[in-house]
Amino acid sequence: MNRALPEMLNCMNAPGTFLAGNCTDMTVLERQRARMKWHLHEHNDPIQLHQQQQGYNFSGNELSGVFSVPIPAGQAQGFMGLVCGDSAVKPDPCSENRWAELGYGSCGLVVNNNGAAGFEEMINGRNNNSNISRTFSCPPTVAAEKKSNDAVLSQKISLPTGKESFKKRKADKVQSNKAVAAEDDSTEKRMKGCAEEGDSKITEQTSTKNNTNNDRESSGDTSKDNSKASEVQKPDYIHVRARRGQATDSHSLAERVRREKISERMKYLQDLVPGCNKITGKAGMLDEIINYVQSLQRQVEFLSMKLAAVNPRLDFNIDDLFAKEMFPACAANFPTIGMSSEMTNSAYVQFNPVQQMVSSCGLDMGINSSDLALRRTISAPVSIPETFLDTSCFTQAPPTAIWDADLQNLFNVEFQQGRTTPFQSQPFTGSIEASNLKMEM
Amino acid sequence: MKKTLKLYLLTMTNITTTGVTLNIKSCRTKFAHRFVRSLLQIRNHAPPSSSSSSEEKLIQKRRQRIKIAAYLSMAHAVGPRMNWSRALLFKLRNRACRHRKKKRIVVIRRKTKKASRSSQGSVPVDQAKKLRRLVPGAKSMDLCSLLEETAHYITCLSTQIKVMQALADHLSK
Repeated sequence: MNRALPEMLNCMNAPGTFLAGNCTDMTVLERQRARMKWHLHEHNDPIQLHQQQQGYNFSGNELSGVFSVPIPAGQAQGFMGLVCGDSAVKPDPCSENRWAELGYGSCGLVVNNNGAAGFEEMINGRNNNSNISRTFSCPPTVAAEKKSNDAVLSQKISLPTGKESFKKRKADKVQSNKAVAAEDDSTEKRMKGCAEEGDSKITEQTSTKNNTNNDRESSGDTSKDNSKASEVQKPDYIHVRARRGQATDSHSLAERVRREKISERMKYLQDLVPGCNKITGKAGMLDEIINYVQSLQRQVEFLSMKLAAVNPRLDFNIDDLFAKEMFPACAANFPTIGMSSEMTNSAYVQFNPVQQMVSSCGLDMGINSSDLALRRTISAPVSIPETFLDTSCFTQAPPTAIWDADLQNLFNVEFQQGRTTPFQSQPFTGSIEASNLKMEM
Repeated sequence: MKKTLKLYLLTMTNITTTGVTLNIKSCRTKFAHRFVRSLLQIRNHAPPSSSSSSEEKLIQKRRQRIKIAAYLSMAHAVGPRMNWSRALLFKLRNRACRHRKKKRIVVIRRKTKKASRSSQGSVPVDQAKKLRRLVPGAKSMDLCSLLEETAHYITCLSTQIKVMQALADHLSK
C-alpha cells in the first residue's frame, strides 16, 4: 500500500487510485484532499462552480452517505469532501475520456470497495483481501480494466456498507417503528462481529445473511433480496426500492445524518462568507454569517438610497438609461465568454457588443438626429460577428473622444466587477487594441 | 430606442448560446433587466414637480420603492424554486394587506415562537433564530434547509449588490 502511494501522488488524474490512497492511509488524507481541490480548481473551474451552486449537496449527499456509518466522524468528513469534489467532476463532459470512464463507471465501485476495506481494516487490524490491495496499487490506466474485472468482487465487499448507508439514507425520511430499529442495530453489531471473525468476505456476507434469516424472517428476506440486487448490479432506483421496506429510523443514525448535512452546509457557507475561514466553531461562524447578511442588506439599502438620489438628475435622457441597462448585463456576460476556449475569437465576439453598445450610447448622447440609419448599419456586424464591417461605419459616427471616455468607463467598472482576473485581462487588452484601431480610422 | 433594446437582447441570446452559461450569470442578467425596467417605471410614475419642501420625503419614498423593486426583481429572477424568493414575493405582493393585519400577525408569531422551541443539537439556538429573522421565509424551516437557503440568499444578494453598484456608479458619473 505504501509502495503505491508515490504513484498515486504522481497521477492526480485518476480519482479511483486517489481515493484508495486516502482510505488506506488516513494521515495523507488532508494533503491529498487539498491537492485534489487545487487540481479541480485549476482544470474545470466553471463547472465546479456551477456544481457548487446548484447541486452541491444533492450529489454529495448520496455518496457521502456510503461512508457515514463505518468510518468515524472526522474521516467521514474527509471522505465527504473528497466525494463532493469527485461528484463535481463526474458530469463534466469536456475533460479526458479516461476521467469519464473512471469517474462514473468504476469510481462508485471503488469507493464502495474502499469503504468496505477501510471498515474491515479498522475493525480487524489486518489485511484479509489481497484482491483489493492489488486494485489499490494499480496505475490508473490499468485500473479501469482491473476494476471492471473486480467489479463483482468489490460489489460483494461493498455490500454491508451499502446496506447500512441505505439504512442511513432512509433514516431521516422514514419515521418508523422502533422494533425494526432495534433489529437494525443488532444487524450492525452482528456485521462487526462477522468482520472480526471472517477471513473471506463471501463467508462474511453469507453469515450475515444467515443471521438475519435466523433472527427475523421478514427482514432477512429483504436483506437477501438486497444482496441479490446488488450482486446483479441493478440500477440505483431498484436498490432504493428494495431497501425501502427495510429502511428504518434509529435516532442516533438520523441525528448523525443531520449533523453531517449541517456541517457540510456550514462548510459551503464558510467558503461563501469572506473572513469566515479562520473562525472555528459553529456559533462564531453563524455570527459571522449573520453579520455578513446584515451588511449585505444594509448595502442594498444604501445603494437604493444612492440610486434614489441619483435618479432624478437624469430625468430627460431615457436613452442614456437604456444604455446603462445594457451595461451591467453586458458586463455580467463578460466572464462567461472569457471562459470559452478560443481566446482570440471570444475576444472579438466580445468586442462587438461593447462596440455596438458604446456606439448606441454615444449616438444617444450625441447631437445627430440621423442615427437611425447609422444604427442599422452598425447592427449588421453584430449579427455577423466575424466580419469587421463596422469599422467602416464608425468613421461617420460622432467624435471619438466621447467613445474613448465611455470605453474607459466601461472597462474600468467591468474590470472591478470581474471575478476571474486571468481571463479578464486578455479581452481587456484586445478591446483596447480594437479601440486604438478605431481611433486610427 | 426599443430597437436598440431588441437588438441588444438578440446579441445577448447569441452570446449565451455560444458561451458557457452559468447559473449566476443568467440570474444577474435577469435581475438587471427587471431592475432597470422597474427603475424606469418608478421614475415615470413619480410626479416631476420638484417642490423644495417635500424633496427629502420624495427621496425617502423613492428609496423605499427602489429597495422593494430591487428585492422583487431579484426574487423574480430567482423564481419560485427557492424558499426565500417565494416568501419574498408573497410578502411584497401582500404588503398592503400585511400593514392592516400587522398586530395580529405579531401576536400569532409570538405564540408560535414559544411553541416551536426544539433542541437544535450542536448549533446554538440564538444564532439560528437571528438568521431566521434575516432570511425571508425562513421562519418555519429546519436547520439544514435554513443553511442552504442562507447560502443561496447570500449569493443572490451579492450579485444584486454588484449590479446595483455598477448602476449607481454609472448613473452618478
